[in-house]
Amino acid sequence: MKILSLILAGVLASTTTPVGLGVSDDEVTARKTALDLAGAFSNDGFKIRDGSWIGQFATGKASVIQVNLYAGNEYWFTLGTTPGAKKVNISVFDETGEPVEYEPYAQGSTAAAGFAPEASGPYYIRVEELEGEPSSFCLLYSYK
Amino acid sequence: MICTFRPVLGVLASFSLLAMAGAQDSASKPAATSLAPVEAPAAPATPAQVTLVEAAEVTLIKAAAKLAPEDLASATQTDALTIPTPGELMAALNKHGKPDWSAQMRPPIATNFTSRAQMALNLGGLIADGYLAVEAEDAQQVKNIGRDIMAIAKPLGVQQDILNRGKSLTDFADQNQWDVLKEELEATQNEVKAAMAENKDQDLVMLVTLGGWVRGTEVISGYVAKRYTEGGAKLLRQPAIVRFLSQRVNVLPDKMRDDPSVKKARVKLLELEQAVNFPRDTTPTAEIVGKINALAAEMARDIAKKEAK
Repeated sequence: MKILSLILAGVLASTTTPVGLGVSDDEVTARKTALDLAGAFSNDGFKIRDGSWIGQFATGKASVIQVNLYAGNEYWFTLGTTPGAKKVNISVFDETGEPVEYEPYAQGSTAAAGFAPEASGPYYIRVEELEGEPSSFCLLYSYK
Repeated sequence: MICTFRPVLGVLASFSLLAMAGAQDSASKPAATSLAPVEAPAAPATPAQVTLVEAAEVTLIKAAAKLAPEDLASATQTDALTIPTPGELMAALNKHGKPDWSAQMRPPIATNFTSRAQMALNLGGLIADGYLAVEAEDAQQVKNIGRDIMAIAKPLGVQQDILNRGKSLTDFADQNQWDVLKEELEATQNEVKAAMAENKDQDLVMLVTLGGWVRGTEVISGYVAKRYTEGGAKLLRQPAIVRFLSQRVNVLPDKMRDDPSVKKARVKLLELEQAVNFPRDTTPTAEIVGKINALAAEMARDIAKKEAK
């Protein structure tokens, strides 16, 4: 029960789904999937941000979020989706939109990107569904 | 060597990404986060099977094309993810030595404000103080701050929602579970914000974030001003955060925007926006760091100051 309330609290804290307007089962599922994957990083000292970005993939269109990162920290961005998504991807860009190198991971309806910024400031994270049915997604990040 | 993880299907995962019709460029090079390919298992992995390994080399990739200007302009910005926690900033500064975090603590602030806007700003500031107490590994301070958070949460009508969090903060502090406490503090903040939203107090949410950011910036800039290093100074580059906060504060309802504490914060925020908006390849001088600290400290003092009736 506590886990469920944590999930719901985090989902409510996201602003893609307007706060307080209810959370769909799909969104809870996507967040749980993302948390399951992000949990692997906790063992290595990464702290999972409680906040999340929850949305729906638009057909053939990527979604982009701005984050603000600090040089010296390491980050893992973790994407969870509903099972309809068969292949998903995360990529990382600097503040001018130039692609930056990151360590990839993708497995079915989950993906992750590891990134250690050399400069502090804004970055952009692009998430996209490459194969599958229309799906909900949840992006989390961890840092250390 | 910094240890990172490689999911057990890491090799296959990378290959599948690289094979995306030329959608990605790749580079294999020694990395700060070094790791090695892992043999792929016969059966597909579940997230629970993700494991951590250390190795000497990591395959890095990057997207083939730049983001279009319209992608940058329309990028989502959320309070929950776009704005880093004070803990992230402190974690970054920890890489530049071992700061004496306890020296950055401030005396207890008032908790009996009459303005809801000022309560929200101070709630954010207290949560930043909580991160500071955790970094200082000061259990008593964590408990004191937890009590102050509850005291301010009560008149805001969100105390019931975070009662369990308050107890958790105390329990984890007693057990010296510092890493857990960092996550607990953010969860507390998010529960406060969710409760505010449910109570139709959405406008207060941004003020909690603003209060936390100001106090966090005061702490970090104060430390760097005293013990200047280039790496520490560069952490103060936060142009997009201040822009985001300014935009959100500027669209608050008139009544809230004209609250004395918010009014003062808006003026200082404009000055801070200039100060933390230096180019990516520029290192701010000790003088600029001092200026950032003076602005943030003044703003934090104004926020915590009880208005005379």
